[in-house]
Amino acid sequence: MPWMNRATADRVKFEFKDVEVEFTKHTTNLHVKQERLIDLMKHLKEKEGYRHFIDHTCIDFPDTKERFQGIYILYNPDTNERVIVKTWAKEGKLPSLEKLWACARWAEREAYDMFGIVYEGHENLRRMFMWEGYPYHPLRKDFPLEGIPEVELPSLTELYAGRTDPPSHDFELVHTRVPTLEDLERTEKARLQKKAQLVLNWGPLHPGTHGTIWFLFDLDGEKVVQSDVILGQLHRGMEKIAENIYYFQFLPYTDRMDYISAICNELSYATAVEKLLGVEVPEKARYIRTMFAELQRINSHLLWLGTGALDLGALTVFLYAFREREKIMDIIEGNAGFRLTSAFLRIGGVHYDLAEGTLDVIKAFIKDFPNRLKEYHNLLTRNRIWLRRTKDIGVITREDVFNYGLTGPVARGSGVPYDIRKLEPYAAYDEVEFDIPVGEVGDVYDRYLVRMEEMVQSLRIIEQCVAKLEKLPKSAPYVNKEHPAVMSPKEYVFMDLEDMVKNFRIVVHGENAPPGEVYSSGENPRGELGFYIYSTGGSKPYRLRIRSGALYNLSIFPKLIQNGTIADAIALLGSLDPVVGETDR
Amino acid sequence: MAMLNSNGFVLTTVDELLSWGRRNALWPLTIGLACCAIEMMHAAASRFDLDRLGVIFRASPRQADLLIVAGTVVNKVAPMLKLLWEQMPDPKWCITMGGCASAGGPFPTYSTLQGMDRIIPVDVYIPGCPPHPQGLLYGILQLQKKIKEKGVKKYDKAFEEFKKDMEKQGLIAREITV
Ligand code: SF4
Repeated sequence: MPWMNRATADRVKFEFKDVEVEFTKHTTNLHVKQERLIDLMKHLKEKEGYRHFIDHTCIDFPDTKERFQGIYILYNPDTNERVIVKTWAKEGKLPSLEKLWACARWAEREAYDMFGIVYEGHENLRRMFMWEGYPYHPLRKDFPLEGIPEVELPSLTELYAGRTDPPSHDFELVHTRVPTLEDLERTEKARLQKKAQLVLNWGPLHPGTHGTIWFLFDLDGEKVVQSDVILGQLHRGMEKIAENIYYFQFLPYTDRMDYISAICNELSYATAVEKLLGVEVPEKARYIRTMFAELQRINSHLLWLGTGALDLGALTVFLYAFREREKIMDIIEGNAGFRLTSAFLRIGGVHYDLAEGTLDVIKAFIKDFPNRLKEYHNLLTRNRIWLRRTKDIGVITREDVFNYGLTGPVARGSGVPYDIRKLEPYAAYDEVEFDIPVGEVGDVYDRYLVRMEEMVQSLRIIEQCVAKLEKLPKSAPYVNKEHPAVMSPKEYVFMDLEDMVKNFRIVVHGENAPPGEVYSSGENPRGELGFYIYSTGGSKPYRLRIRSGALYNLSIFPKLIQNGTIADAIALLGSLDPVVGETDR
Repeated sequence: MAMLNSNGFVLTTVDELLSWGRRNALWPLTIGLACCAIEMMHAAASRFDLDRLGVIFRASPRQADLLIVAGTVVNKVAPMLKLLWEQMPDPKWCITMGGCASAGGPFPTYSTLQGMDRIIPVDVYIPGCPPHPQGLLYGILQLQKKIKEKGVKKYDKAFEEFKKDMEKQGLIAREITV
């Protein structure tokens, strides 16, 4: 995806004299003073067409005077260009952009939670992931990854069984702080002021919430007057981990973010790192990546279909969808050696060559799957109950797509053809043919149809990849092992001294990345998964920001459910399809 | 110990009968926390079909006697899980599925609970990240074995009380030898 062109940059510079424009290798950055931020953003949104909010985050530079730098990433859907706006916080304060983009509210809450930056003008600046009363701001550079141990928590298993010698458990007795139920109650009270009859807690441990999202509904009878979403019940500190390990070591962690589409995550991450390191990927690897990413997309949509239908009472679809999922899982397991969190990709290629017979199995799957899809359509598409539950529920307008930074099938369901695979092709997406299905109304039913059609398109892509891979010789390289930052495959390591030394060096010292910054994203089943990497050189990123599609897609939920009923919340949530591992990270 | 005598009767102790019933009808609570939960769903779905073992997921802690902790337990969710555990009636068991729930797994971070056993006692730990559904099946079989060998008295305060009551009323079951 191109970045802001020079003509536009000059126009902006003409309007705003004190804006500094910086063209880096991978991005275009506008530096602006904190006081002028809102004006500039307003100008970019209204005059220049940068109306799609992609992401906001901060970077902590403890040695500089202002310390925190705010980063905003915007997208212009007319010219297909992105831009990064940067500004320094003043005395730990930034202005809130929630009047311009509604989803900025959530991004700002997160930055407040993680960095302690105060946003002036925010309607309810609360902690996003941690609980009220948690005293630290974890993403600050002076906070340790493993936290600050302060409470004694012994292993109860050991307490019951008695301590043996040597001990059966090896653990640190002192543990980081765990909230009490009162803390959680305070968190809940801080989020929502009761206006109507009663506040209903939905989740966090409720099967319908797709994980551990905690919803608060202020109800008047069955009508939802207002609602809020509390996240953080799966906040594992991914971004902090990324700052503390080497680039290649973080790859398995991306699997565990959106665990339903592991390979798509890996692909987005590997693409970003390869951009930073300047690694070319061989043709075969690109096709293998594309093929598996699309298999994973089908896999993910099947899970959405199964659980979404299950939530609305259709148990059969769940069992059917999982039957097909098992087939895909087997294909993935046969190649990567793992079913779910596969870690199949590597920086510079893929871990293994295609296993014997993979293409035959995939061909059989391609042949069989359209019939299965027909089964699902028969069960649901014209089903009267299904139509009643999904038609005209949760309608998202086109403006809201931009306002809330929606991406993926949720954006496409409202008729916005935003698909990174077309707009900024990565892997082999520019060499295969496929269409982008879009909806018309933007209700739950449209999003359902879009996802169903996406599976058909994925099949098309896989078919082309199989045809291509059959033509490529078996000896074609599947990883770019000539590059100094790419690890050699195992079969070379044991045979060749040079490869062994190289791998040894990378494992011990990490890849040596040049200083610079990259924002690169991939089209995940749950929307745009972006990685913003800020490197100051060396083998670890200085800051790695994960732009989660699921988080932004979820941010429209409180608006959509307003004046709806509780029953609609379930259908609506299913259609937004968040995965908590990615929203909370 | 159950045995068959010459008249075709099966003779057993009440304890043994109860334990047999319990271990073959473990009803877990429907809770998924993270990636491992997907594998748990797979274990329950078409291919691996947990129902065969009498394992049927229940949505209410009041009806459940097994807590399968599938996924990363972060500090914030720990007190809620503990609450659910306390809401489950005795006798009850706990299986931790995956590295995260067992010991923090790949997340030695500020926000993650380093092992479920810090807040509730655990009976079976299943390693893996995530464990294969077969791993979960194996874990459940292990738990059945454990119940068979150790009985149900371990965390069973209510049952103890009940027994004491029975003793007081002179209704305690005696070993019957054949
Ligand atoms: S053990 Fe692995 S798969 Fe399971 S929840 Fe933890 S990270 Fe996810």
